[in-house]
Amino acid sequence: MLRNYFLTFVFFLSSCYFAAAQPDSLTQEEEDFSIYENLNFADEGAKRFCTPKVFDLSPSKFISLGYEYQGAFDIDYGNWSNASGSTTQKTSRFSGADGTRLSANIPVIAKTNVVLQVGFNYAKTNYHSYAINQNPLDAALKSNGLTTTGLNTTLFKPFSEDKFMIFQSSGDLNGDYSFSDPLHPKYTRISSAVIFGKKVNDRKMIGFGISRTYRVGELNYIPVMLLNWTAPSRTWGVEMLAPARVNIRKTFSPRNILLFGYELEGNSYRIVSNDGVTASRNIELRRSELKFRVTWETSLQQFVWMSLQFGYRYGYSFNLDQFESDKEFFRGFFGDQSYFQENKLGGTWYLQWSINLVSP
Amino acid sequence: MKTIIISCALWLAHLVGSAQADQLLGVWEPSNGKARVKIEKIGEKYYGKIVWLKEPNDPKTGQPKVDKNNPDVSLRSVPLKGYRMLKDFKFLGNNQWDNGTIYDPENGSTYKCIIKMTDSNTLDIRGYIGVEALGRTDVWKRLNTKK
Repeated sequence: MLRNYFLTFVFFLSSCYFAAAQPDSLTQEEEDFSIYENLNFADEGAKRFCTPKVFDLSPSKFISLGYEYQGAFDIDYGNWSNASGSTTQKTSRFSGADGTRLSANIPVIAKTNVVLQVGFNYAKTNYHSYAINQNPLDAALKSNGLTTTGLNTTLFKPFSEDKFMIFQSSGDLNGDYSFSDPLHPKYTRISSAVIFGKKVNDRKMIGFGISRTYRVGELNYIPVMLLNWTAPSRTWGVEMLAPARVNIRKTFSPRNILLFGYELEGNSYRIVSNDGVTASRNIELRRSELKFRVTWETSLQQFVWMSLQFGYRYGYSFNLDQFESDKEFFRGFFGDQSYFQENKLGGTWYLQWSINLVSP
Repeated sequence: MKTIIISCALWLAHLVGSAQADQLLGVWEPSNGKARVKIEKIGEKYYGKIVWLKEPNDPKTGQPKVDKNNPDVSLRSVPLKGYRMLKDFKFLGNNQWDNGTIYDPENGSTYKCIIKMTDSNTLDIRGYIGVEALGRTDVWKRLNTKK
C-alpha cells in the first residue's frame, strides 16, 4: 500500500517536472527575429483597426483634482433691462476669482473596434469683490459664484486601419447654485460633437466634424477640426480640436511636456439667486472665456502627474439672456435677438494647478 | 487498483490544466500593430518578449530602437527587440493569467496586468493602476506562420 502511494507521488512529480521543463532562463538568448516577419492572423476574419493615439500625445487623465486662481479684474455691467430699481450701468472691481476643478474619465468599453469612455466633471468659481454693486448679477456672483457639474461620454469607433469616428457628448448643470440648494435637472445643457477622421500614420491623425456647443457662452453649431500630429523628430507636435483648443507641444521626455496654446471655455449658467429679482426672470449668463496659456505637465511618480498652467484670461462673453418659458433658443453669430443685459468681463492673468492620475 | 485510478486522474487533471495554461504560448499582435510579442513559459510563469517592430530603427539615429525611456538609466541601451514587456504571469484557471506586469516602452511605465483569453486567438490585455477599474484594455490577436 505504501509502495503504491509512493509510486503515485513520484509519477505526479515527474509529470510536473516534464511539464515545467521549458526554457528556464531569463537570459536573452540570440534569436533569429526574421522568422516573425511573415506572419498572418490565426483568425482569418480578424481585422486591424486604428487606435485613438499618436506618438507622444500628452497623457489622458483618469482622475484630476485642481485649483484655479484668477487675478483682479473688472466687470462692466450694462443696463438691467425692465428691472425695477437698480438699472444703472456700473463697473464692479473684483480682487480675484478662484475655485476647485475635479474630473474623472474612465474607459468602460475598450475593444479593438470600439472604445467608450464616461466621465464626470465639477468646476466652481468663487468671485471675490471689494464692494457690493447693486446689480442683481453682481450680487449673485459674489454670494454664490458659478458652479458646473456634468457627465460626459466619448466614443471612438475605428472603421479600418486608418478611418475612424469620434462622438462626444456632455450634459452640464451650470448656475449659481450649491449642493445644498441644487439646480433642477431640466436646466441641463447638452453639448455634442461628431468627427470623422483619418489616422495617416502613427504620428498624425486628422478629422473634421460638427459640434453643438456652449463654448461661446450660448448655444451654437460650429464646424470642428481635429489634428494630433508629432514631428518626425518626436520633439514637437500639435494637439488641436479647433476652435475649442489648440496646443503646440514641446516634448522634453515622455514624462516632461510643455504646451503652448489657447482654450475656449464656456457655458450657459442659470442665475437663480434668491434675491427675488433674478429668480423670477428665467435668466442665463452666457459666459465664455478665451484662455491663452502655457502648461507644464510632468510625471511626479509613474502614473501621478502634475500640471501647472499659467496664462491670460480674455472675457469673450458675459451677457445675460432672458428666456420665454424655459426653452433654449439659437442666436448663432448672426442672430439679431437682443440680450437682456450686455456686460464686459475684463481680462486678467490666471494660474491653474492640478494633480492627475493618468491612463496607461 | 484504486490508487492507480486516483494517480491517473491526478495526472490527467494536471495535463489538462497545463494544456489550458499553455494556450497562451505563441506570437501575438497588439491592436496598434506596431509590434509582435512572443509569449513563452519559463518555469511555471509566462513572459512575453518583443520579436518584431513595425518601425525597427530609431528615425533619429537610424540604429535599432533601444529602451530609451526606461526609468533605469542603465537599461536605456537595451535593444527593444527581444525585450520582455510581459512578465511573471501565472495561470489562474478560467482562461485568465494574473499577477504579472506589462511594460510600455513608449513612456517607460510598468503596469499591473491581467490577461483574459476571450477565444483561442484573442487576448484582452488589461494594464491597470492599483485597481482593475483604473486601467485600459488592449486586444491582441494570435499570429501564425503564413501558409
